[in-house]
Amino acid sequence: MVMRFHWSMSSAGENRRGAKARAAVSGIPNLDAHVRFCRIAEECGIESLLTAFGFHRADPIVLAATLGALTGRIKFMVAVRSGVCSPTLFVQQVNSVAAMTGGRICLNIVAGHTPEEQGYYGDFLSHDERYARTDEFLTVCNAFWKGDGEANFDGRYYCIAKGKLNTPFVAPDRMRPEIFLGGNSAVAEAMAMKHADCMWRLPEPAEKMRDKALAMVSAGTEVGILVSLIVRPTHAEAIEATEELLANFDGAPKRTHDEFARKSDSVAFTSTYKLANADVWPAPYLWTGAVPYMGAPSIAIVGTPDEVTDALFAYRDGGVTQFLFMGHPDIEEMQRFANEVLPRVRAREAAEAASAVAASS
Amino acid sequence: MSDVKFHWRLLQGGEIDGASRTQQDGLPDTGMPDLRERIRFCLRAEELGIDSLLTAFDWSRPDPILLAAALGNATERIKFVIAYRSGLICPTSFVQQLNTLSALIAGRFSLNIVAGEQRDEQHGYGDWLAHDERYARAEEFLAICRALWRREGAVSYEGRHYRVENARVNTPFVSPDRTFPEIFIAGGSQQSHDLALRQGTLWMRMLDAPEKLRATGVAVLAAGKELGVRCSIIGGRTRGAALRKAYELVSSERGVDREAEREFMRQSDSVNVRTTYELASTEWLTPWLWTGAVRTHGSACMAIVGSAGEIADAIHELIAAGITQFIFGGWPKLEAMEFFGEEVLPLVRQPMEVATAS
Repeated sequence: MVMRFHWSMSSAGENRRGAKARAAVSGIPNLDAHVRFCRIAEECGIESLLTAFGFHRADPIVLAATLGALTGRIKFMVAVRSGVCSPTLFVQQVNSVAAMTGGRICLNIVAGHTPEEQGYYGDFLSHDERYARTDEFLTVCNAFWKGDGEANFDGRYYCIAKGKLNTPFVAPDRMRPEIFLGGNSAVAEAMAMKHADCMWRLPEPAEKMRDKALAMVSAGTEVGILVSLIVRPTHAEAIEATEELLANFDGAPKRTHDEFARKSDSVAFTSTYKLANADVWPAPYLWTGAVPYMGAPSIAIVGTPDEVTDALFAYRDGGVTQFLFMGHPDIEEMQRFANEVLPRVRAREAAEAASAVAASS
Repeated sequence: MSDVKFHWRLLQGGEIDGASRTQQDGLPDTGMPDLRERIRFCLRAEELGIDSLLTAFDWSRPDPILLAAALGNATERIKFVIAYRSGLICPTSFVQQLNTLSALIAGRFSLNIVAGEQRDEQHGYGDWLAHDERYARAEEFLAICRALWRREGAVSYEGRHYRVENARVNTPFVSPDRTFPEIFIAGGSQQSHDLALRQGTLWMRMLDAPEKLRATGVAVLAAGKELGVRCSIIGGRTRGAALRKAYELVSSERGVDREAEREFMRQSDSVNVRTTYELASTEWLTPWLWTGAVRTHGSACMAIVGSAGEIADAIHELIAAGITQFIFGGWPKLEAMEFFGEEVLPLVRQPMEVATAS
């Protein structure tokens, strides 16, 4: 399967935003910086950009609607917390963006990560209940996207009678948005198998993810990883880059993330913190050194273009075919990926395809 | 009086000249946001001196916040009146979406909050509250929104319908002159009146005779809030030409489906919509106030009918009764807006400017 590459737009116009306390960052989006980020991503061959959700950020779907009107090719992976609005209204919003951007929207479903922040949004359900509600939420959404008449649903959290909408999901190739779902817990996995096209995981070494990932893939759900990227011309320079990144932190931001990890009830985030405490290099290409400072998604694939390419193929062979990258700083890393790694990946994929054709003839 | 504001309904997809509401709602194109056509409409509205364009909310249309985000970035001056239903989204998310929009389009919008219009439609959104309870919930909803907009720290609230704890959003409402959007409360019931007094900045009514609007709006004005009306304009070179246009609109040759509109009325539990529908049994409430289109085209179609001068006089009567914001519509929408901007607005502004100067 051809690998697909996405990038996080969380830090557009603001490097190392992830190292700041959430209450201290600005929520005013820098539109010019975001548009520039989108255009560079388009040039770099990135498929979609993640617009994240949090009280400390601009609203992701309003941002996507705006950026969609100002760009031509890039897709937006809009993070969604279920439980903050009616599923009917949600589908109406998603379909509206699709209709205005030619279907350049996909969804990243997050059930929520800290109970404290959930409280800001009036959501007091426990981790497992949030997933049960997300299950209902997505069931209602899919009833609308099936588009075969009125949506009806009678559940514990939602009751919809004769729901109808007049703005369809509009895309050249789909009737409904592609759905990504993040999480590492068993309940998240079950949810992804039921509703998602692809499940995001935080990375472990490729061989450790392999069995679970291949099982998921054979059951019809793709697997992807959310990971940072550090690519340099030589291995020594790549290692040096990890040290430089750490040198930016003088100890203070670490407490920020210790506190976040303590409050979080997300299994995905807490298991990456555990991994980071146990081993700084769980694999020769996988580095956890920045996790205590910049959070779980700063776990990074590190190396030369060839080493990183090898690592991506190791993941792919283990069933992981989609990648959501972050870089520190983002734009430089994205351009290195586009210039050095992506051509190698595509060339090797083409060579594999050619030899597969030769073998079968 | 110079700060009277004139808004117009935004052109919607597939708009048919003079289509009734039930005809229009069923059209596939109504749901499609054709941005190019609408941007043109926005730019024309800017040229004509229209203050804002109303982006309506219901099941048949694209989401008005997102539509305003796309249109706002393609235009410079025009504002939007974003209609929204309370009760479909948590207040914290609502404020976060609106504040994000304000940061992206320099705060160029106000809100038109509707508690709900049709039982069936509310059920389709998963909302099962009755009319009065919807108002109680809207009150809590707006109380939380306004607390977040005050930005005096984390907001905690525990009511019957909402509970939030330490709520905050890092994106503030961004605008050159306001810390929160203007909030129009749309409705004709006592509850909507009271809600406008407590949480709104303006009470948005359907058109009625000026003396009646003044009498019912006394408390709202006394509280320092504004009164607004929503209606249609049917204009012509002469009163006779305008009347012909009006009667053509409802003539049976258009195939207007009166039964569909009657069914809409049976489903409606909005006092505003019902009252207007009932008023429409007497066709002319004043020499210029025509109700004839209400029974086929919906309650926003109480119309001011006449020549440009007569319409300007009618607007002056309404301004004298305390109305300071108007949301107009007409058929066909673009030509009607142009007639208003080119023929009526200069006459409306002229004596206002004289009055201000003296």
